[in-house]
Amino acid sequence: MPGLVKTLELSKHYGSFRALDDCSLQVHRGEVFGLLGPNGAGKTTLLRLLLGFLRPSSGYCEIDGVDPVIDGVAVRRSVAYLPGDARLPRHMRGSSVLKFFAEMHPGGNLDRSRLTADRLELDTRRHVAFMSTGMRQKLALAVVLSLDTPLLILDEPTANLDPTIRAIVLDMVIEARRAGRTVIFSSHVLGEIEQTCDRVAFLRRGRLARELIISELFQRHRITGLSNRPIVEVPEHWQSRISVRTEPQGDRFACLMDTAGDLADLLPWLDSLQLSQLRIEPLGLRAVYDAVHFGTDSAQLEDEA
Amino acid sequence: MIHPGLVRKYVGQSMLLFLACATALFAFAWVRVWVVSLLDTGQFRTILEQFREFEKYAPIEFDALFTYAGRVGMTFDEPIVILCTVIWCISRGSDVISGELGRGTLEMLLAQPIRRSTLLLSHATVSIIGLALLCMLVWAGIGIGIQVTDVHESLPPPGFRVPWLSFDIPLGTAEATKQVIPLRDRVPVETFAASTFHLFAFGFFLLALSTLFSCLDRYRWRTVGAVVSVYVIQAVMFGLGKAAESLSWLLSLTFFSCYKPQKMTSLFTNDGWSAPWSLSQVIPGGSLAPLWYPLILIGLGLLFYSAALLILSRRDLPAPL
Repeated sequence: MPGLVKTLELSKHYGSFRALDDCSLQVHRGEVFGLLGPNGAGKTTLLRLLLGFLRPSSGYCEIDGVDPVIDGVAVRRSVAYLPGDARLPRHMRGSSVLKFFAEMHPGGNLDRSRLTADRLELDTRRHVAFMSTGMRQKLALAVVLSLDTPLLILDEPTANLDPTIRAIVLDMVIEARRAGRTVIFSSHVLGEIEQTCDRVAFLRRGRLARELIISELFQRHRITGLSNRPIVEVPEHWQSRISVRTEPQGDRFACLMDTAGDLADLLPWLDSLQLSQLRIEPLGLRAVYDAVHFGTDSAQLEDEA
Repeated sequence: MIHPGLVRKYVGQSMLLFLACATALFAFAWVRVWVVSLLDTGQFRTILEQFREFEKYAPIEFDALFTYAGRVGMTFDEPIVILCTVIWCISRGSDVISGELGRGTLEMLLAQPIRRSTLLLSHATVSIIGLALLCMLVWAGIGIGIQVTDVHESLPPPGFRVPWLSFDIPLGTAEATKQVIPLRDRVPVETFAASTFHLFAFGFFLLALSTLFSCLDRYRWRTVGAVVSVYVIQAVMFGLGKAAESLSWLLSLTFFSCYKPQKMTSLFTNDGWSAPWSLSQVIPGGSLAPLWYPLILIGLGLLFYSAALLILSRRDLPAPL
């Protein structure tokens, strides 16, 4: 798939502080791309560089072949962007906000905005100043999700929303992908990323720490059990797929394995280990997130496994 | 260059402030003219003569204040007029970037496919037109005041003047008669056109300065503080320059020296309607022709706006605070 968004060694430094450092990634057309990382990891800096709000210290980025530093207007014409902390003019009513942004963007459409607002169960007659935080978030979502653009960038779109509306927003993201649109989705809610994204990138301290295909994540498992042997030998041809740790537990040894790839191939070998109290569970994004965050072994498993 | 949607947004955003300033300026200018009619010119002269030694602090010579035109023209130096103009200019100018950044609304705005210059120019259009309307309202208030106000004047009894001695001898024992005259017969409304233009130039300078500081900053309170600091420093320089001969050089470094609405009234009264608009005839006691003064303020304002455009197009826009 061709890349709609590309960054090459993109960096943003504020003095000695590196908000983003040598970030090279590619977002393919028609995919939902997740951005993960702790606070201050550089996610929002990356998005703001893509939109031309910030000028890179070094490196390069482009959206649909256009460098935002050279032609930010053309870039933003093809992007609908929801900021992490979306705030709207407080003197306007909700309906006026929808009208205003529908006029501002060539991909805007007031009828579509109203329909989106209805779907998000938002009362647009109120002034923004008198809306709750969740209502303001819904209003911003109604503005952004109704824009007809090839790229949708959502920075924590479900913050401050109730579970029902969260589900609706995630449905709308999936609908956008079905419609052939590309979505960059930044969130701290790992379940949402798992549910919606095709690929995910982990940022840590301004650096791209890891990229992952979500469908491969579903082929990752954590296996625990008790072994009589202190060392579990992994066949050489599987060493890139399996990481093993053992530690004494009473007179036996607790064995912890993280696996990648089809589990069916491994089952005969697992059986040969004669583990007791065997437990197999999907590894999940949480484990990968922690691994990236704390640098544990499971992060070392090869993606192509 | 200008986006109609943005212009509508800025109009809505500034409407309340505009209405408040407009009401205050229009009503004050009108009432100010009426107050002028309450004072007898002769009595006024007696009061002012006692302060002759302070004449150098006044924007014009005291003799001009013995005329109705001169006294009405003082409206343009009244604190309320200056205050309302300054409030409009600083509040609107400081709003454009640091204000939107502070409120967190800039990010959604700039996520739209508009140039930063479009945002700034749309904002400037609303602010400048608002300023022009406020200045026109001061003139309109003065104009209506002049149209509806009558003044009482004393006519001395008939007499004759002794040649060479300049001595008046009354031709009877009759007392001075009082007559009521519409103020419009004494003061044409056009007298204050140039003064209104000076007020606009003064406001334009401040508006542009506030806009420039707003484009440099991310906190609105700091922008307002910086502009007010410049204003106060310039006012102090103007005061010191007027007060001490040795510090008169300060007058050439303060923009207050270019704000001469009362001088314009005086020029109109003495030399005709075209005198305040001259680019060649140097004004008495000044160093430039009268039209140069507001043009300097407008020129500096345009320079500030150009710098603001340049800075805004190059600066990073930080995340909401």
